[in-house]
Amino acid sequence: MTRIPAIAPALTALFAERSAHMVDVPVIQPADPFLDMAGEDLRRRIFLTESETGAALCLRPEFTIPVCLDHIASQAGTPRRYAYLGEVFRQRREGGNEFFQAGIEDLGETDAAMADARSIADAHALLSLALPGRGLTVTLGDQSVFEAVLAALGLPRGWRMRLARAFGSAEQLEAALADLANPPKASALPGRVAELVADGDRAALAAQIAEGMAETGLSPALGRTPDEIARRLIEKAELRSVRLSAEAFSALKAFLAIRASLDTAADVLEGFAASAGVSLGAALERFSARAQAVAGHGLPVGAIIYDAAFGRPLDYYTGLVFEISAEGAARTLVGGGRYDRLLTLLGATAPIPGVGFSVWLDRVEALRGGA
Amino acid sequence: MSITIALPSKGRLREQALEVFAKAGLPVEEPADQRRYRARVGGRDDIEVAFLSASEIASELGQGNVDCGVTGEDLVRETLAEWDAKVEIAARLGFGEADVVVAVPDIWLDVSTMADLDDVAAEFRQRHGRRLRIATKYWRLTQQFFSQMHGIQVYRIVESLGATEGAPAAGSADIIVDITTTGSTLRANHLRILDDGVILKSQACLVASRRERAAADAALLADVRARVRAAVA
Repeated sequence: MTRIPAIAPALTALFAERSAHMVDVPVIQPADPFLDMAGEDLRRRIFLTESETGAALCLRPEFTIPVCLDHIASQAGTPRRYAYLGEVFRQRREGGNEFFQAGIEDLGETDAAMADARSIADAHALLSLALPGRGLTVTLGDQSVFEAVLAALGLPRGWRMRLARAFGSAEQLEAALADLANPPKASALPGRVAELVADGDRAALAAQIAEGMAETGLSPALGRTPDEIARRLIEKAELRSVRLSAEAFSALKAFLAIRASLDTAADVLEGFAASAGVSLGAALERFSARAQAVAGHGLPVGAIIYDAAFGRPLDYYTGLVFEISAEGAARTLVGGGRYDRLLTLLGATAPIPGVGFSVWLDRVEALRGGA
Repeated sequence: MSITIALPSKGRLREQALEVFAKAGLPVEEPADQRRYRARVGGRDDIEVAFLSASEIASELGQGNVDCGVTGEDLVRETLAEWDAKVEIAARLGFGEADVVVAVPDIWLDVSTMADLDDVAAEFRQRHGRRLRIATKYWRLTQQFFSQMHGIQVYRIVESLGATEGAPAAGSADIIVDITTTGSTLRANHLRILDDGVILKSQACLVASRRERAAADAALLADVRARVRAAVA
């Protein structure tokens, strides 16, 4: 077992001071929630095993999902702040396979601006305690602002979804934009289907598809339904007739290039909206409220950078994402964000908003050692 | 001083591999008893032949337990993590051709490309309460193609140990990643290959392990490789 970091007792004290309660979750976890949430690509990076009865188990690769599962199982009331400090296990090419992480998950707080700001402030306080005197830079992004821009530019739903999914990956966003500017050719459809698509007759199209399913022995109860296929066929046909206008394209590019310190970011966004002739409405209000809440914690706002293109391509992140890095260190020390969809995906019966962060204590320790 | 060559132990692949080696001037003296798994090359006491299953050959090559062998490129890429650090493809042999492909139910008329599949996968959970399921025995190739190449993260792989093409009709998966030669099995099961859904065009290859070896063995291996290449040129 890896040695517990020397800073651990100080961090535990900090958590208590900030009224986040330490929670302990088992090292051995069901693997499915991780693979379901983060995707199959995680499979090669975690330690998987099997129970005697064939259930897939893994060594916990992170804390957020176990803490949320634990919260759901215990039917604890909200709002509630959970803190953790412990080992996580991942297959890595370099460095060890087991290392310590600490963090806070803030579940059920309905004042999102306040909770977002507090999460950033908690993470910042933790690093300031562990690395006294070292300059820290916070980078933050916001998926909901990007989605608001897409909506304000009047992009059709199918495109908005596709672009929102690619958010955070420059490469994929580039590819998606290229496709939209120059959509691939339609593949040929059977005559009758093509007619129904052209008519936009969804019900008749669904009936036609249902017939096809019955003929080929595919049960609509087991997977995609005829109506779902019909809807998407019609939507695709509509999208083909639309082109991303040059103005919308350049507005998107201009938006994604925005980088501003948090104290000026809301103004910059407003300026962008004005020059693009759009309104970002509620998303901008939420952004401003959060920025003000962050400033209220007395953090050095000049060292908090809003990067409009910064995001994580995982479908449970819904708004804020942030990272903190330290002067003279190449690797990110903290990753955090808002995951309002996660608890429902994990089986909570009512939606529970959540925001949290995690600190790579191994990286922090390395910096402390080198200090 | 000797090297070991692994050849497929069964079927057409075995016959065709033996033909190539015979043509290369390396006739394998088949054991009198077909159930024996060791043989020699005629007139050569420095080359040993081991008959193994094609997928075992890939893993034995990866571990450096044999010097070279005949197996499918699909098995090499699937069985070995960072395959090109462990083995190299010394020659493509022109038989055992098969494509590893992504196939969807033919009635998914709205899905013809990976980008379409990305759309469908993204909304799947919301509509059906579970992720899109892919039946395959090619875990690694599927992950690389979907996650790394096409940026599709949200799907689940369902392990399939045979009759993968039946999975969508049986309801155990929505789509499949499988090997096909003529496409007739896919068509018979009302499945269609996506326009950009060919993951790998595979064929039987002479594959050499990159393990360290004595100069004499390296020279021997180079000779085998040159002969096989000439035989299939």
